[in-house]
Amino acid sequence: MFKHLHLKVGLFVIAVMALALGFLFYVLNARGFFEQQQHLNLAAGSAEGITPGVPITFSGMPIGQVTGVTLNDGGGIVIQAEVNADGARWLRTDSSFTLDKPIVGGAKIKVSSANLDSPQLPDNSTVLLLTSDPSQEIPVLIDRVKTILANIDHITRQDGELASTLANTRTITTRMTGKYGVLEGVLGSEENARPVANSLKNLENLTTRLNQVSAKVDAMLVKTDRWLFAADGVSEQSRQSLAQVHAMLVDAQGSLKRVDALLKNAVDISANIKDGTQDLAKLRAEVDESVSKANDLLNDINRMWPFGSGDKQIKLP
Amino acid sequence: MDLIINLVERTGAKALAWWSSIYSVLSFLGEAFATLAMPATWNRATLDTIIKQIYFTAVQILHVYLIYVVVISWVIISITLSTARNVGLFDQATEMIIRVLVLELLPFLTALLIALRSGSAINTEVALMKVYNELDALAHCKVEPMRFEFLPRIAGGVASVLGLTIMGGVLTLLLAYLSIYGLSASGLYPFATTIASVFNMKVLLGLAVKCGFFGLAVTALPIAAGLETPKKPFMVPVSVLRGMMRVFLALVLIEVLSLALKYI
Repeated sequence: MFKHLHLKVGLFVIAVMALALGFLFYVLNARGFFEQQQHLNLAAGSAEGITPGVPITFSGMPIGQVTGVTLNDGGGIVIQAEVNADGARWLRTDSSFTLDKPIVGGAKIKVSSANLDSPQLPDNSTVLLLTSDPSQEIPVLIDRVKTILANIDHITRQDGELASTLANTRTITTRMTGKYGVLEGVLGSEENARPVANSLKNLENLTTRLNQVSAKVDAMLVKTDRWLFAADGVSEQSRQSLAQVHAMLVDAQGSLKRVDALLKNAVDISANIKDGTQDLAKLRAEVDESVSKANDLLNDINRMWPFGSGDKQIKLP
Repeated sequence: MDLIINLVERTGAKALAWWSSIYSVLSFLGEAFATLAMPATWNRATLDTIIKQIYFTAVQILHVYLIYVVVISWVIISITLSTARNVGLFDQATEMIIRVLVLELLPFLTALLIALRSGSAINTEVALMKVYNELDALAHCKVEPMRFEFLPRIAGGVASVLGLTIMGGVLTLLLAYLSIYGLSASGLYPFATTIASVFNMKVLLGLAVKCGFFGLAVTALPIAAGLETPKKPFMVPVSVLRGMMRVFLALVLIEVLSLALKYI
C-alpha cells in the first residue's frame, strides 16, 4: 500500500537520532566538556551583576565563563570561573580582569594581558576583579545636569535678564527698521538721529569743497615744482649763489683772522706804526672789497630767494 | 431567587462536566502509561503500528514541514537581526534567535501543525470507531484497543513531535548562522560559545520534556475526546471540535508552564 514505508521511517528516525546526538555532542564540545578547563578564582568587592554564565572575554573573544559566586569567611566575594584550555594561554600573571557592566546588555569579564612575555597564570589561582560600571556615574551626572538645568531655568525665567535683554534687542531692531536705520537704533529715536544725518550731509559738502581746494593746491605745487627745479630754475641759481657765498665767507674769515693778528700786533708792537698803518690800509681795502662782494651776493640772493624777513644780515666786526 | 438557583445549578453542571472530562483524560493517560509499562505491549504488532503512525504523522509531511520551518525561521531571523542591529544589540542576536525561535516558537508551531493534521484525523477516527461499535468489536476479539490502536498513536505522535522539532531546530540554527556570518567559518567559535551558554543540560532536558508533553497533548487528547463521543453519528463533529479545543488549551498551558518554570 505504501512503498518503502519502513525504509522511509527508518531513514527519518536515523536522521533525527543523528541530528540529536550530533547536536548534543556539539553543545557538550562547545561547553568544554571534552577539554581540560583551567579554574580561576576572582576576588571582587561586590557580586552585583555577576551570575553563573557571565562570559570571560579576551580581546572580545569569549574564552570562558563564570561558574559560581560564593562568599568567603571574611565576607568577600569569590567568583569561580572556568577558562578553556585554548583561552587559558592568554592569561598571564600580570593580566588584569575587569568587570564590564554596560547600561544595555549583559555583564562580561574582560581580560587584558599587556605583556604576553609574562609567565602563564597557574591553575586555581586567585586574581582581583576590577569594576568599571558606568551606571554608578549616572547619579553624579544627573546631579550636575540638574544644576545646569536650574541655571538655565533661572536665566530664562519670565522676568529674567535674558527676557529683558531680548525685549531690548527687539526694541532696538524695531527702531533699526525706521527711516534712519541703525543710527535710529543706537540713538533711540528719529528726532535724535536727524541731526547726525544732517551733519553727515554737511560733511559730504565739506569734503567736496576740500577736494576742489586740494586739486588747486596740486596744480600750484606742480607749477612751483617746475619753477623751482627746472634746468634754469630758481633752485639751480640759488645753488650757484650759495657756492659763491661760501667762497666769500671763507675769504672774509681769512681776512678777519689776519685783522685779528694785525690788531694784536698793533696793540703789542706800536713801534712799527708805519708798517702797521700800511698793513691796516691794505687790510681795510681787502675787507672793504670782501664786504662789498658779500653785499652784492646777498643782494643777489635776496632777489632770487625769499629768505624770509630781510633783517637778517651778516654782521661784520 | 429562581434565577440565582438556576445560575448556581448551571455552574455546578458545567464544573461537573469539566471535571468528568478532565477525569476521563487523566484516567485515559493513566491507562496508557500502565499499558506502556506492561512487557506484553512491546510486541511486533504494536511496533508496526508505531512505525506506521510515525510515517503518517512525520515522514509524509516532512518536506512541507521543512519548507514551513525555513520560511518562518528566515522571516523571524531577518526581523531579529535587523532590529538587533538597529538598537545596537547585534551581539545578543544569536542568543535571541535561539531562545525565541528554537526553544519556544518552533516546538509550539510543530505541535500545532501535527495537531491540525494528525490530531484532528485521530479524533475523527476514534469517534467513528466508537459510534460504529468497532471498539467494542475489537475488545470482543481480545484485541485491546489501548494496546493496538491508541498507544501506538500516542507513541508515534510523541516521537514525531520530538523528531520534527529536532530537525527544524537544527535547520533554524543553520539558517541563523548563515544569516549572521554567511558562508565564512569565522563565526564558528562565537556561535558555538553562544549555543553553549544557552543550551545547558537543564535547557536541553526541558526542551525534550516539553516536546514530549506537546506530542502527548496532540494525540492523547483527541483520542480521549473521541472516546467520549455519544453513539450518534451527528456527534462526531462536536467531538472533534471539543478535542481540538482541548488540544489548543493544553498546548498553551504547557508553553506557559515551561516558560514560567524557566524564567520565574
